[in-house]
Amino acid sequence: MRQLAAIAANTFKETIRDRVLAVIVVFALVMIAGGLWLGAISLGEQGRMMKDFGLVAVTGFGLIVAVFIAASLVHKEVDKRTVFVLFSKPVSRAAFITGKFLGLCGTMAVVLAGMGLFLFALVWLLQGSPSFMVLAAVLMIYVQLLAIIAVTIFFSTLGSAILASVLGICVFVAGQLSHNVLALTRLGSNTVTEALSWVIYVLIPNLTAVDVKAGVVGEQTLAWGQISLWVVYLLAYVVVVLALATVIFRRKEF
Amino acid sequence: MPDPKETRIVLDLADVHKTVHVGFRRRPLEILRGVDLSVEESEVFGLLGPNGAGKTTTIKVALGLMRATSGSVELGVDGLGKVGYLPENPYFYDYLSGREFLGFCARLFELAPEILSQRIDELLRDVGLQGAASTHLRKYSKGMLQRIGIAQALVNDPELLLLDEPMTGLDPIGRVEVKRIIERLHERGKTVLFNSHILSDVHELCSHIAIICEGRVVWRGEVAEALDEARTLEDFFVRVVTA
Repeated sequence: MRQLAAIAANTFKETIRDRVLAVIVVFALVMIAGGLWLGAISLGEQGRMMKDFGLVAVTGFGLIVAVFIAASLVHKEVDKRTVFVLFSKPVSRAAFITGKFLGLCGTMAVVLAGMGLFLFALVWLLQGSPSFMVLAAVLMIYVQLLAIIAVTIFFSTLGSAILASVLGICVFVAGQLSHNVLALTRLGSNTVTEALSWVIYVLIPNLTAVDVKAGVVGEQTLAWGQISLWVVYLLAYVVVVLALATVIFRRKEF
Repeated sequence: MPDPKETRIVLDLADVHKTVHVGFRRRPLEILRGVDLSVEESEVFGLLGPNGAGKTTTIKVALGLMRATSGSVELGVDGLGKVGYLPENPYFYDYLSGREFLGFCARLFELAPEILSQRIDELLRDVGLQGAASTHLRKYSKGMLQRIGIAQALVNDPELLLLDEPMTGLDPIGRVEVKRIIERLHERGKTVLFNSHILSDVHELCSHIAIICEGRVVWRGEVAEALDEARTLEDFFVRVVTA
């Protein structure tokens, strides 16, 4: 357990001290602030526009940070030969993969908290009252990104960092669509297509199930009980994907 | 009754083969072709051989960083928890200070938090890096990296130390410092196995040597034995390798 904490803490330090991350976050904050200008030209819908644009920006920049860092986490250790230091000690491959994941989860929590609180403050400024649902939406973006981090780490154990980044983004996009694809194929009568879409639905995490952006922007009532179950599903998905990544990584030699 | 003079084998490799597959067509390349090697407790053991002979692979197989294709590898110590390793041309985490890096390594061995700080201070003093403890590793010179590398290999107070080219690329002062560290480890009864191309250092430090050539141990024995057969260790090495 102490090993796992050490690897996670080291990964957190590695990623949080990366200057590229600081540049991306500053750029993200500028983009979110750009929502103020969009709000100004939206004829009385400033708050709504700010929330909508801001949450999309948080998702986009969160995705960039998550995918690109996750894809390079394992490769950096191998390329720079720091794996020799790790695996010449009694460190298991499972502790390594899990520690890397948890460390990046910590970094993403800081990054999303920063962006989320900034957006929350801007929305408060525009509406004159706090909208805590904005923070809830950012939390759900964080849950989505946890699944993407796990998937990207999994792909990085199979191939190059670039391939893992591309596939991580593809899974994010597919995760927004898999539910709709399944619903559409059910309308038709082709059993092969329906079976295929079921396979995709099972393999790709259903990210739309925890996407509450539209509900928060439209100030609708959200079914949090059901959303909580989907959060549990995504966390279980993360565990399975990390276990598979460990199995593959165990076969590697250095 | 066991013989009290009987020494313990801390590393034993028997008929170890290692084949890797390279290139697009996965062409097999045999790196180790039956390495036999035994290292006894408290020895300073030199592993010699030309470039590409299989010295680093032998160490990696001993540590489990690579799996032997066939043959047996036995550690006579209590697992990797009692082994220290310095890789060749070490590269560590740039963004950590020397103290943070040693703390990280100590936590990987699950050292108790109450002894961790004291252990790190001792190691920094032993390798002469107290003054650079808070400096990030990216600002370290090659000699300093080598010394922090030795410190991380000692963090668990290992019984067996495997050092891959510990003197390579160091200036004369750096080499002397590393040699003094190895001597002190020997005085404390630690077993040290190291690779080196610098035969004068091997002569100075080692009691036993093995010469690896084309993936096989072609000679092993005491340094004194080698010097009975040739004027210098260099002459002996050239004679064995070119035989």
